[in-house]
Amino acid sequence: MTLSEKPPVLSLSNIVSGYRELTVLKGISFDVAAGAFVTVVGPNGHGKSTLLKTISGLVPLKQGSIGINGSPAPGQPHAIAALGVAHVPQGDMLFPEMSVLENLLMGAYLAPSRAEIDRRLDEVYTLLPKLADRRHQIASSLSGGERRMAGIGRGLMMGGEILLIDEPSLGLAPLVIEQVYGVIAELSRSGRTILLVEENPARVADLADHLHLLDDGEIVWSGPPAELLARDELLATYLGG
Amino acid sequence: MLDILTSIIIAGLTTGALYALATVGLSLVWGSMGMLNMAHAAMLTLGGYAAFSLSSALGLPAVVGFAGAVLAGAIAGGLLYVFIVRNLLNNDKATFESNVMIATVGIGIALENAILLTFGGQPLKQPISATGSLIIGPVNLPYQNMLIVIVVIALMALVALLLARTRIGRAIRATAQNREAAQLMGVAVNRVYFQVLVLSGALAGVCGVMVSSMTQLSPPLGNDPMLKAFIMCVVAGLGNLPGAVAAAFGLALLEAFVQYAAGARWGFPSLLFVVIAVLIWRPAGLFGRAQIRRM
Repeated sequence: MTLSEKPPVLSLSNIVSGYRELTVLKGISFDVAAGAFVTVVGPNGHGKSTLLKTISGLVPLKQGSIGINGSPAPGQPHAIAALGVAHVPQGDMLFPEMSVLENLLMGAYLAPSRAEIDRRLDEVYTLLPKLADRRHQIASSLSGGERRMAGIGRGLMMGGEILLIDEPSLGLAPLVIEQVYGVIAELSRSGRTILLVEENPARVADLADHLHLLDDGEIVWSGPPAELLARDELLATYLGG
Repeated sequence: MLDILTSIIIAGLTTGALYALATVGLSLVWGSMGMLNMAHAAMLTLGGYAAFSLSSALGLPAVVGFAGAVLAGAIAGGLLYVFIVRNLLNNDKATFESNVMIATVGIGIALENAILLTFGGQPLKQPISATGSLIIGPVNLPYQNMLIVIVVIALMALVALLLARTRIGRAIRATAQNREAAQLMGVAVNRVYFQVLVLSGALAGVCGVMVSSMTQLSPPLGNDPMLKAFIMCVVAGLGNLPGAVAAAFGLALLEAFVQYAAGARWGFPSLLFVVIAVLIWRPAGLFGRAQIRRM
């Protein structure tokens, strides 16, 4: 079964959302199949983060609907998290006064048992061994790259089927970006469904199955990453070349 | 000289324990919700009168009176959330801090007046108190003071354990540090706020019994401890729990020494002097960091 034939685990249907009177997303529709790696690219300030926040319930829907595994998404972020949606937000949003371990344990807040928490912790430490070394360190004292890894690790601790990752390369050195994307590629290979937003389509060219170009709150183009990278006029118009 | 010094230290530790108990409830709510609960004083008074009603008016054992005070404070905190705070949170979050402060001023005044109408304005004796002293040479240790310090230390340890080791405690700390991130982890922050106000109310109820056992019951009973608790919170840094406890004991000892050395009327001004100095030189408090808006 190809990805396009698999049932969608995430369905966005004509979603309109924003902050109070300000409308940011103006009718977004697309599906994400189970195990797919879908990326939304677009310039800064055009609604990429708002899209993920709307899916995870932090920004309320004004119109449209969101389906998770075939059911309508509840309105509250904690209820959406309980359905297996793990949001790794921009800037990490770690709990600054907690240790790395406590941050990871917060990721497993809804885990059903201590054994399951230990299993997820082992998995995270295997994938991100640096977090094991830093587990007793206070989150606010981590470097930018370590914070990003801790944010991803905390998202994995949620045990969710769907990972929403917001600009994982933002503010990081090129070498660290490579490491972060290496971890994301590993997660994709392990079968997780990933919806990632990114400013630079070249970074996800080898990873993403499908790409949506977001401009001023609307999807203006969709297709495979290689196709977008070959369309100089699209890159020049929407992403500054 | 030893007996005078001991008396000052005992007085300082006892009032420090009372200040700490009042401060922790206030600081917990501010730290996790960004809410200055101006009704905290009235909740404290309610606890004192609940214990009085059960023990004195109904003649029930002291332990039942004490439990009643805890329950009355907890219920008051829960009701405050259900009827006031929850609705204010559903409105404009940007104005929550100012709106909830004004709303709780009103609730506090209403509750204090309800107590005045029910019990009258005359001072009443709190039946839950220990009499007698432990005498070791020249040192006189009143049982009531010892009881207050022991109970408060035990409660502080329980609150610290709750916050550090339990799932509820981690959720409270997570919500205080980053509300949105806590929600993304599956924390129902509204439930956390409810739990925090119930816990804060229960601590206020205990504090009401303790304060009234050292003084007398009267409708404005909670006002002085709450004023002092605000001072401790500002000195420690709003929302900093360990700092608030340290500030409570430190400033109470300072107050006791000043009262002995310069006279009782200089005790409170000495605390105000410390607050002014802290606000000038360390506006975020002695143990605090720059505050961020949480809502």
